[in-house]
Amino acid sequence: MLENPRRFVIAMSLATTAGFASLIPAGADEVPQDKIELCTSCHGEAGLPPQPEVPIIWGQHFYYLYVQLRDYKAGRRANEVMQGIVEDLSKADMKALATHFSEKQWPETSYRSEATAAAKGETAASAGQCPQCHLGGYEGNSRVPRLNGQTVPYLTRTMLEFKTKVRRNSPAKSSLMVSYSDEDIENMAKYLAGL
Amino acid sequence: MRKKSVTGLATSVAFAALLSFTGSAVAEEVSGGTTYGDMSLVTQDMLTRAGGDGNNFLHTNGNYAQTRYYPARQINTSNVNKLRPAWIFQTEVVETMETTPIVVNGVMYVTTAFNHVYALDAKTGKQIWHFKHKMGPITTYCCGPNNRGVAIYGDRIFMGTLDAKLLALDTKTGKLLWEKQIANPELGYSETMAPSVVNGKVLIGTNGGEYGVRGFVKAFDWKSGDLLWTFHSTAENSVGVWATHDATGRDMLRDIEAEKAALAKLGDPYKTLGGGVWQNPAVDLDKNRIYFVAGNPSPDLDGSLRPGDNLYTNSLISVDLETGKYICHFQYIAHDVWDLDAVSPPILTKVKDNDGNTVDGVLHAGKTGHVYVHKADDCSLIRYSEAMVPQENMWVLPTKEGARMLPGANGGVEWSPMAIDASLGLTYAINLHQPMTYHVESTPYPEGKLWLGGAFKVIPGEQQWGNVTAVDYHTGKIRWKVKTEQPMIGGILATAGGLVFTGEGNGQFKAYDSETGSELWRFQAGAGVNAPPSSYTVDGKQYIVVAAGGNTQLNYKRGNNIIAFTLAD
Ligand code: HEC
Repeated sequence: MLENPRRFVIAMSLATTAGFASLIPAGADEVPQDKIELCTSCHGEAGLPPQPEVPIIWGQHFYYLYVQLRDYKAGRRANEVMQGIVEDLSKADMKALATHFSEKQWPETSYRSEATAAAKGETAASAGQCPQCHLGGYEGNSRVPRLNGQTVPYLTRTMLEFKTKVRRNSPAKSSLMVSYSDEDIENMAKYLAGL
Repeated sequence: MRKKSVTGLATSVAFAALLSFTGSAVAEEVSGGTTYGDMSLVTQDMLTRAGGDGNNFLHTNGNYAQTRYYPARQINTSNVNKLRPAWIFQTEVVETMETTPIVVNGVMYVTTAFNHVYALDAKTGKQIWHFKHKMGPITTYCCGPNNRGVAIYGDRIFMGTLDAKLLALDTKTGKLLWEKQIANPELGYSETMAPSVVNGKVLIGTNGGEYGVRGFVKAFDWKSGDLLWTFHSTAENSVGVWATHDATGRDMLRDIEAEKAALAKLGDPYKTLGGGVWQNPAVDLDKNRIYFVAGNPSPDLDGSLRPGDNLYTNSLISVDLETGKYICHFQYIAHDVWDLDAVSPPILTKVKDNDGNTVDGVLHAGKTGHVYVHKADDCSLIRYSEAMVPQENMWVLPTKEGARMLPGANGGVEWSPMAIDASLGLTYAINLHQPMTYHVESTPYPEGKLWLGGAFKVIPGEQQWGNVTAVDYHTGKIRWKVKTEQPMIGGILATAGGLVFTGEGNGQFKAYDSETGSELWRFQAGAGVNAPPSSYTVDGKQYIVVAAGGNTQLNYKRGNNIIAFTLAD
C-alpha cells in the first residue's frame, strides 16, 4: 500500500528548518502522488527495490537524495533511467520527494556477506578512510549517503562509475575510486551491503 | 607547601558559596539548577585570571594563553596512583567525542557529536539540563560530526554547530537565547570548534578547507549575537612571495613558472581557497591581540588551480581584538599540496630567543611533526623543534598513482591542543605516525561538495603508531618521548602536580610524570579517549575529567562517557 503523501511529518520538518533560503525545502509542498507511485515502481513499494541494480532510497538522507536528483537533472550524474525521470521535476518536487523518502524506514535486506570478501572490503575501505565521512557503521549523514545494507549490484556499479567518471557528481569520490582495483570495489560493496 | 594553599583556596570558595544561600530549596527554584546559586555568573575578570584559578576550568584550553596548565596540585606524582572514577555520565549520543568540559563553580558543561549540550553537577555527575540542537538538513564535516565544547561568559554559554550556526544558551536552564547563521552550510561551512569569549566578543572561525570555503574568524556581540567584525583568512592578494622553501628550509618543489602562468589565466584564487580556522585563538589582553592558525588551502592536493603562496593558509596569524585588522603572519608551508595544515591551537608563553633574551613567544605544533616557536611581536620564527615523528620523502609532490610521504595528512600533530609546563620550559604534544600515499587529480570547484583534488590513502601494510612528546621550547630539543600503540588524537593537560594526562584510541587514559615521561597511572575507559582532559576542584577535592567517546576520523571505538576522576579516600 502507498503511504499517504500528505503525512504531517513532512510538513513539520519543512516548517522547522531555517536558515539559507536556497537550501531549505521550500514551503509545505505537497508530495506529488503520481510521482511517488512512479518512484516506488522501481525503488520498491516497501523500500526494497525488486531489482537489486536499483538503489534503496527509503530512509536515505534528505540532502543527499535531493542533491542526486538535482545532479541527474543537471547531467552531472549520468544515468539514462533517472535522467528521464527527473526531466520534468521542479526544484520543489525534488525537495518534496527527497523529504518523503528520507522519512521512510530503511528496509531490511536478506543479504549476508561472505567473510573473506567482507574482510578484504573492510581493509580496502579503511585505507580510503571511508568512515571519516560515512561515519561509524556507514550510517552517513546529511550530504553523505548511508551505505550499510545498500544493494551489492548498485554499490558496485556506482563505485565503478565514479572510477570511470560516468558518475561525475562527487569528484573526490572519483579520485579515490581510481586508486582501487575493480576487485577491491567489489569487495567493498559486499562488505558494506552486509553491515 | 603550595599544595595546601590551592586546596585551601578551593575549600574557602566552596564555603563562601554555601554561605551565599541556604538549603536545597534554592536549588529547586532553578529546577535542579546550579548548586551554587548566583556564582554561576562568569565575569571577564574570572576569564582573565583563569590561569591561576584552581577551582574552575573556564576555557577550552584552560586560559587565554591556552597553556592547558592547571594550577592545582592536590593530585600529584606521589598520589596519582590512587586516582579513581568519581562518577561516569553517559550521554545520549554514542559517537566521536572531542569536547573539553568547562567547569564553573561546581557545574560542568559538555557537548557531544551532533551538538547536544549537557550541564552536570561536577561533584556527582548528575544531569542538570540537556540541550539538543535542532539541526538543519545540511551539515558538513570532513572528519566526524564533532564538537569541541562551549565557551562561557555572564549567564550564557556559546556553541557552534554542524549547520554553521552560533548559539547562545542560558547557563541555568539550557534555554536557547539566540542563534545566528555564521555562513552558508550548502557551500561547506560548518562549526566544530568551541568558541572563545573575550571582552564581550564571541570569537569563532570555520571548518571547510575540504570544500573550497573562504576561511575566516568572526567576532559576535555576546548579548545580541550581532556580527562585529570578520577577518578573512585568505587574503584578497593571496599570491605572496613565491616561497620555494618551507619554514624549516626544505625545497617544496614548486613549479613557479607554471604557477605564474596559471595566475595570469585564472586570477587570484582567494574566494575558494579554504584556510579554515578551526581551533581557538590565544588572546593577549595586554596588547589586545589574538593569535590563531589557518588551515590548508582548497583543493587539498591540487595546486594547479590555486597558484601562489595561498596566503594566509597554513599560517600563524595575529589580528587586533577590537577590529579584526591584520597585524602579522608567518606561513609554514606555502602552496601546500599535502593537507599538512596548521590547526593545533597556539600557546602564548615567554620563550628564549636565539640571543638568549626572554621574549613573548607563541608556540604551535604542526602536522609536520615540528613545534614552531615564534616571536609574538611580529610572528617571526625563532626556531622549530626536532621532528617528533618520522619524516620521509618531504616534499614529494602528489602523483596520479600516489606518492608515499611521511608524515601522512593527519600529522604529526592534528587538531590536538598541546599543554605546557612553563616551570620546566616544556611543551607536550601528542602525535600520529600514519604512512599515506598522496594522489592528485585536478577537478574544478564543485560548488560546496567535497573538493580534495585527489585522495589520501593510508597504506594498509604499514605499521601505525603514536607518541607523547615533551619538547624544550627554549632549545627545540626533545626532552622525552613515549610511544603509543595507536596514532594519537585528542589533547593533553599538564598540572601543577607534576603530571600530564592524555588518552588513546584503545581506551587507555594515562598520567605521566611531566618531567620524565614515566607512566604513573592508567585507566581503561572502554572507548577511545580522544578528547582534551580538564581539571577542577569542588568542595576541596580536585578532579580530572575527560570524555571517552572514540573518534570518527581514526575510527576508534565509540562511546558516550564523561568520566570524572578523583583521589580515593
Ligand atoms: C525505471 C526505474 C526507476 C524509476 C521509475 C525511478 N528510479 Fe530512481 N533510480 C533507478 C536506478 C536504476 C538508479 C541508479 C542510477 C545510477 O546508478 O545512477 C536510481 C537512482 C536513484 C537515486 C540515487 C540514489 C543514490 O543512492 O544515489 C535517487 C535519489 C532516485 N533514484 C530517486 C528516484 C525518485 C525520487 C523517483 C521517482 C520520481 C525515481 N527514482 C524513479 C531507477 C528508477
